[in-house]
Amino acid sequence: MTFTREQIAAYAAASGDHNPIHLDDEFARSAGLPGVIAHGMLQMGIAATVAAEAAGGPDHLRRLFVRFAGMVEPGDTVTFRAEPNGTGKLDLSALNQRGEAVLTKAVAEYDGHPLPSGERDQGRGA
Amino acid sequence: MAAIAGRTYPAVKIEIDRDRVEEFAHAIGADPADGVPPTYAAVYSLGVTAPHLFGDEDAAIDFGRLLHAEQEFEWTRQPDMGETVVSSGRVASDVSRRGMRFVTFETDTTDEKGAALCRSRTLFVIRQEVRPARAPARP
Repeated sequence: MTFTREQIAAYAAASGDHNPIHLDDEFARSAGLPGVIAHGMLQMGIAATVAAEAAGGPDHLRRLFVRFAGMVEPGDTVTFRAEPNGTGKLDLSALNQRGEAVLTKAVAEYDGHPLPSGERDQGRGA
Repeated sequence: MAAIAGRTYPAVKIEIDRDRVEEFAHAIGADPADGVPPTYAAVYSLGVTAPHLFGDEDAAIDFGRLLHAEQEFEWTRQPDMGETVVSSGRVASDVSRRGMRFVTFETDTTDEKGAALCRSRTLFVIRQEVRPARAPARP
């Protein structure tokens, strides 16, 4: 996925995280950054989408862990992958166009079957 | 500046709003038809409790020097579209070493009946100000 300012702004609006380091180049530079950067949580969201697909659907996911290791700027292309690593576990990777990992130690755990929705009131006729 | 490990914040209720979930799904490239994206927890969990931490004067979190270093979510189940969940945040640990402050902030999310739904664990790393060496006062 190639990150754009528009997508970063869309994530800011959708998530409620309007930290100006994601939206305002001047502010980002004053904070020591090269310019605006993508939210780590946006990257985690994309990684989670890949993990959910590998797990058979978002309802199967039980755990996600990521370390935010590198900056992602508009124009960067990041390849997200989920690799099986034992039963119910996925190793997640996110490498930019330079081969640098922007997420590290990223893993997902999932169950083979989603939790029964009997936990929630199904309104079966009394 | 006191470390604030153990501090807890009030519970916040939030509805898993369909329009907002769809907007979020589009923003991360997920298909809303697949259901609530797991990292929508960024909104219903950390998203509603982190403001307590950032707004806590005693916590003295310098937002400008803060880095979201690690994030973990664990789910008992994903929330249903339209349900109301309840999230409560707490500072699990707050340690400083070598000019860096490490704050672990946890959020527990339950359904309205109190059944566990999601736990979030966030590691914030805050760069602390390096005290400049003071020149001695001129006589």
